[in-house]
Amino acid sequence: MKDIIDFPLEKTAPTGAKAFLLLDRPLPRGASFVIPSEESLSLSVVDLFTGSYASTLSFRLGERSSLTIEIASLLGEGAEKELTIEVSHEGKESFSRVRFVGINLSDKPFRFRGNSYIPNGIHGCDTRQEGRITNLSPNCLSEVSPALFIKDNDVRASHGAALGTYDADVLYYLTSRGISLSESKRLVTFGYLMPIVEKLADEKAVALAKRRLEEIRL
Amino acid sequence: MEELCIKGLSAEAEGKKILKGIDLTVRKGDVIALLGPNGHGKSTLLNCLLGSPHYVVTSGTALLDGEDILPLSTDERSRRGLFMAFQNPPDVPGVVTMDFFRGMVNAHREKPISLFEFYKKTTEAYKAVGLDSDMASRHLNEGYSGGEKKRNEILQMLLLKPAIALLDEIDSGLDVDALSLIADSILKAREEGTTFILISHYDRLLELVRPNRTAVMIDGRIALEGDFSLARRIAKEGYSFLEKEKGILIRKDEEERTSIGVCGAKVTAK
Repeated sequence: MKDIIDFPLEKTAPTGAKAFLLLDRPLPRGASFVIPSEESLSLSVVDLFTGSYASTLSFRLGERSSLTIEIASLLGEGAEKELTIEVSHEGKESFSRVRFVGINLSDKPFRFRGNSYIPNGIHGCDTRQEGRITNLSPNCLSEVSPALFIKDNDVRASHGAALGTYDADVLYYLTSRGISLSESKRLVTFGYLMPIVEKLADEKAVALAKRRLEEIRL
Repeated sequence: MEELCIKGLSAEAEGKKILKGIDLTVRKGDVIALLGPNGHGKSTLLNCLLGSPHYVVTSGTALLDGEDILPLSTDERSRRGLFMAFQNPPDVPGVVTMDFFRGMVNAHREKPISLFEFYKKTTEAYKAVGLDSDMASRHLNEGYSGGEKKRNEILQMLLLKPAIALLDEIDSGLDVDALSLIADSILKAREEGTTFILISHYDRLLELVRPNRTAVMIDGRIALEGDFSLARRIAKEGYSFLEKEKGILIRKDEEERTSIGVCGAKVTAK
């Protein structure tokens, strides 16, 4: 099965809404992108590549530019992934949101690192780094590290991290309605990923992603 | 369902005994008001009947038409006809309400429900509880107000038409109009054959629904049973008469309550 959408993000001035489904290849090992002043980029990535890889994506934001990144990623059995998102606010009043949602089915490391940088003198910026990995394997090793490197006082910055397995209260609630435990787990797993999957504008891509997710053994 | 016979049911959470030998027989058509002071085991009883992972049943049986349901998984108990309206339904982000409802309805049927029938039933149920059916496209319970969550619980009861509905403080957080709608739904479900156990701390819902039986839980046991007049007396006088007239001691030590969840954070700084 070929990727129906590769990751051909132009390095200079990528703008607008872009969505990528990765099935057979990983994110690039290292890539840098510039968001020019006054421009905005909304990037959604559904990463269902089952192999191992390490990737660092760096974004440099111009004045009053905007960057929104949402990544849904699945770590398959036996694989290892490390993803770093670097966001440098180089222009005043720039805006960024990074949200990573991972499902770990492996017993090897799954790491997400999100770093936002705002240097001194770059006022009025707004940034958030957020990561969540749900561990489905009893021996998995996951790491979520959303970090803020802020040297200016006039900014808004926040970060959030969550690691864990299924919420027992949620599973109890779903099964209390007659839905089996395995189906309840599937609903919850899909629930984490689907909001990002649905951002894939192409219906064929959404169908392919859903089919790949349905193949997961929970 | 003809009868649910609970015998000697004991349960604990985190090693602390909460239920200490519950004996209660629920017959088809009953509407039982399960009353008692806070922290004496009412919600625990309902959750044990449904198989909550937070409690360990240490002894006893719950025979539903002769079959002990306690060894069954929660979803199997639901498919046997048990339903609980949760006191605090959890948010389920990412799970679309309509998809969940469909999975829930289909779990109780041999053949999947047709789209037309499902749409018709959910539209009627939304109307019955006074909720906008557009909420079906939202994530389950996420961003719902307290009252919307309670109505959404009753809506699910209407869709499933359970044999026994366990309603855990379904009236808390509801305004007068919503309470009336919920009471109407309970009465309609009763007419259609659903049996109820209701936990409530307020007499308004009980006056609208008029249970035929009252059971009072004190310190993990059913201490007293009676008809609706017992619930009315408790609403008027509280529980103090139980000690004076019946010799039933009511533990007042609030520290005896058992916590079933802990949330904490430790911050250290150099």
